[in-house]
Amino acid sequence: MTRPWTQWVLLAVALAMAAVYLFPLYWMYVTSLKTNSEIFANPPSFWPADPQFAIYPGVWARRSMSTFLWNSTIIAAGVTAVTVILGTGCAYVLARYRNAWVDVGLFCILMLQVLPASVMITPLFVGFNQVGLLGSPRLAVILASAAKAMPFFVVLVRATFMSVPRELEEAALVDGNSRVGAFFTIVLPLARNGILVCAILTFMSAFGEYIYSKSIIQDPRFQPASVGLSGFLGPNSSDWNAIMAYSAIYVTPILAVFVLLQRRIVSGLTSGALK
Amino acid sequence: MSNVQIELTGVDKHYGQFHALKDINLSIEKGTFVALVGPSGCGKSTLLRSLAGLETITGGTMKIAGEVMNDVPPRKRDVAMVFQSYALYPHMRVAENLTYSLRLKGTPKEQALAAAEEVARTTGLSHLLGRFPRELSGGQRQRVAMGRAIIRHPKAFLFDEPLSNLDAALRVHMRKEIRALHDRLGATSVYVTHDQVEAMTMADRVVVMRDGVIEQEGAPLELYDKPASRFVAGFIGSPAMNFVPAMISEDGQAVLLDLPDAPRLPIGRALEPGRRVSAGLRPEHLTVTNAETAALRLPVGVVESTGSMTYISSGTDPEITVVIHGRSPLSAGEVMGLTIAPENVHLFDVESERVI
Amino acid sequence: MDISEAPAVNSRRRGNPVSRILSSIRDGNGFDILLVAAPLVFLVLLAGLPLIYNVLMSFQQVDMFTLGAWIRPFAGFDNYISVISQPEFPLVVRNTIIFVVGSMAGQFVLGFALALFFAQNFPGAATIRGLFLVSWVMPGLVVGAIWSWILAGDFGVLNAILRSLGLIEAAIFWKSDPNFSIWAVTIANIWLGLAFNMLLLSVGLAAIPKELYEAAALDGANAWKRFLTITLPMMRPTIGAVLSLGLIGTLQQFDLFPAITEGGPANSSTVAQYWAWQMSFTLYDFARGATISVMMFVLVLFASILYVRSTRSEVRG
Ligand SMILES: Nc1ncnc2c1ncn2[C@@H]1O[C@H](COP(=O)(O)OP(=O)(O)OP(=O)(O)O)[C@@H](O)[C@H]1O
Ligand SMILES: [Mg+2]
Repeated sequence: MTRPWTQWVLLAVALAMAAVYLFPLYWMYVTSLKTNSEIFANPPSFWPADPQFAIYPGVWARRSMSTFLWNSTIIAAGVTAVTVILGTGCAYVLARYRNAWVDVGLFCILMLQVLPASVMITPLFVGFNQVGLLGSPRLAVILASAAKAMPFFVVLVRATFMSVPRELEEAALVDGNSRVGAFFTIVLPLARNGILVCAILTFMSAFGEYIYSKSIIQDPRFQPASVGLSGFLGPNSSDWNAIMAYSAIYVTPILAVFVLLQRRIVSGLTSGALK
Repeated sequence: MSNVQIELTGVDKHYGQFHALKDINLSIEKGTFVALVGPSGCGKSTLLRSLAGLETITGGTMKIAGEVMNDVPPRKRDVAMVFQSYALYPHMRVAENLTYSLRLKGTPKEQALAAAEEVARTTGLSHLLGRFPRELSGGQRQRVAMGRAIIRHPKAFLFDEPLSNLDAALRVHMRKEIRALHDRLGATSVYVTHDQVEAMTMADRVVVMRDGVIEQEGAPLELYDKPASRFVAGFIGSPAMNFVPAMISEDGQAVLLDLPDAPRLPIGRALEPGRRVSAGLRPEHLTVTNAETAALRLPVGVVESTGSMTYISSGTDPEITVVIHGRSPLSAGEVMGLTIAPENVHLFDVESERVI
Repeated sequence: MDISEAPAVNSRRRGNPVSRILSSIRDGNGFDILLVAAPLVFLVLLAGLPLIYNVLMSFQQVDMFTLGAWIRPFAGFDNYISVISQPEFPLVVRNTIIFVVGSMAGQFVLGFALALFFAQNFPGAATIRGLFLVSWVMPGLVVGAIWSWILAGDFGVLNAILRSLGLIEAAIFWKSDPNFSIWAVTIANIWLGLAFNMLLLSVGLAAIPKELYEAAALDGANAWKRFLTITLPMMRPTIGAVLSLGLIGTLQQFDLFPAITEGGPANSSTVAQYWAWQMSFTLYDFARGATISVMMFVLVLFASILYVRSTRSEVRG
């Protein structure tokens, strides 16, 4: 039997482990606020002596982050839209039927889920080049990333649809609705939360997408924030406070959304991840 | 214009290789309450869902109100269905659940609302119209499901075990209520249940199914008095009929049961002597008499009494159960004498299991 | 239910094909077909065809001149031979193995330990466990940037901490020492994938009935015995899924390389997926890029067969 005091010990250990694990995040924020000389202090300081908040507007302007983040947002929104519109229907059908065809479909989707982007980028680039899609590079990235995001989305949303009882849809049909009507008035509203969580996850991962954008988008006006970050990042970087400030601006919105929706995201993942 | 509301001719249903409904022929008159009974997996739900259009039949014709419905989608069949799980739309309030079908038909809002209030009054839901299904008790949900069906005045009501999620007392109560509703609306109802008491007490006609086949169809007492097969005889009636292997006597006027001393029971008619049969004796048709003179004498195995009824089972193989009203002085180990009227001895063919 | 047996589709009676298709979409399985067809076409165009195209290119001669052409000279196995005979090939294979095995082992062992720890019953367990997952939603490039700074040689905080703990004497040049560079990326990748491993393993642990442990405890099994005889066997399908997902995820990991080492120094931290990309996009040798990708794809296929098998036995069970 666990006695109360062991529970508090466990809680303390858990908090300590979380602190160690999340230290890199802390380090990002702390470094971003340090002065140039404090960065290279030895031993390093764990709390900025003289926080430089001015670095944020500075990096924002110098690195034209508004353009980069805008592009990231456009790309992520496009990927999410394509994925949700195409993937939801697919997930629904895969959840509704249980037969050999569905098994084949699921198997293919699992296969697609595992294709590394680094495997796909070469043929995609050459193919896009041949059909002239490289002329609208953001669209090309949206299409490529949506194909990458779709399998994961379908697998998770399918789990959501499976939790909507079949009989509700059947009752709607008998009550006088068409298949289309029953899908939109009964099934979709009941699966809405799950779809929303998966859409947010899709958005987050598309917001951080790098390899397709780096390979396909040459023009800095259209590059997303990840490519912008890579511009001043390398084995020999030294501009660490700026890099960390850039990173902080980039990830803070994602982190905020994640912390707010943590419960739902985790339960959405755990119900669908292994199915 | 005939009075037939639902007519099935030669209906077949295959699930891939599996033959779920085999050559179903059934006609249901307007205004009748038909119960579909049978053991689990016999195809009751499949038949009901085919009527609703939720499954496509693979052969035969299905008519509702004279129209062929084989390829008509559910929404154009004008039937209402009450599901075992009730299938209330969780994101809609009771009033919206009730009026869903009306809104789909384009009924004006006030009219739909008035209809909902009317239905709520007859089903006792008036004070619950603003609630969500999750805020209702099981019995209340059941009523909403009923209300959703009756608000439409459909051509037929289809019920799939609607009471099986309720407790015993409520079930008995709802049984009466559903039947009263049916009578008041003059509706045509098909009611699936695996509870034969429910079927016997509620229905005008009972259809007994087994393995996708209709075994027998008729009025409840007809099934009880003249079961067409050993299966129906065993299924209808509680406690179940006793079956004993037997042989027709040499004069053809009686059966000799395969029990110690080969007891002889007159059958009131003449049959081919020496024929092997299965004899069916209902527990309530056996009466205990003087052990000295009775034709059928059996040792007493277990005596169980509920106060009003006493169940006595013999210590023989096959076991014979007897039901008597009130108490019995018998106790285990004694010998009881039993008699039965010749017309109550049911005989079934050993091979085909049909009645003889 | 079979797709071909979905609720009634009208047929014979309404003749006009257009209205027949429309009514099938409204009431029949035309709706399902429509819903599946659109994503199917999309995925075939953007995943299926490229995959085939990739295999095709690995047997072709592709350079800047034939990049836009549809018909290119056939090269037989030349590309494969040339990839294998590259001087850095053995190094890349070694690095890929270190990266994959190191990442998977680290993620799995630490993830399992954390999952076991958080399976204990104490206040806030679920919430704190959920916090770990932030690593999983962060952009890979940002994670790479942060670790690149933590692992910096002279001023990195990791060296400072290790030194103050007395674990090392002199600073380790994680990113620029060829003996450590691949490990630098591996450490970052372990951090990145650890939480997801833990989450999946926690789900598996939660599914083990408590009565089993109680029964074993009554039979006198100590904690270690219970772990060996109940936890491990019951977790087998989950462990299979987690390991194969780990393999897949590790082979997909790309962003950390450009952020931390760029494959250097002297290819000492180049792994297959980064090498393939470099071939195509810094050397513009698309044929060899495609060839390396095909080799990797075979590896991933193997991992996913393992994955599908383990999830099957778990879900259908
Ligand atoms: N979608 C399906 N695919 C394949 N077989 C099915 C399907 N639905 C039902 N069956 C089979 O058809 C048979 C009849 O099923 P049905 O649901 O009609 O039984 P039931 O009489 O309603 O039983 P219960 O009393 O248990 O509800 C069963 O053997 C069942 O396994
Ligand atoms: Mg049923």
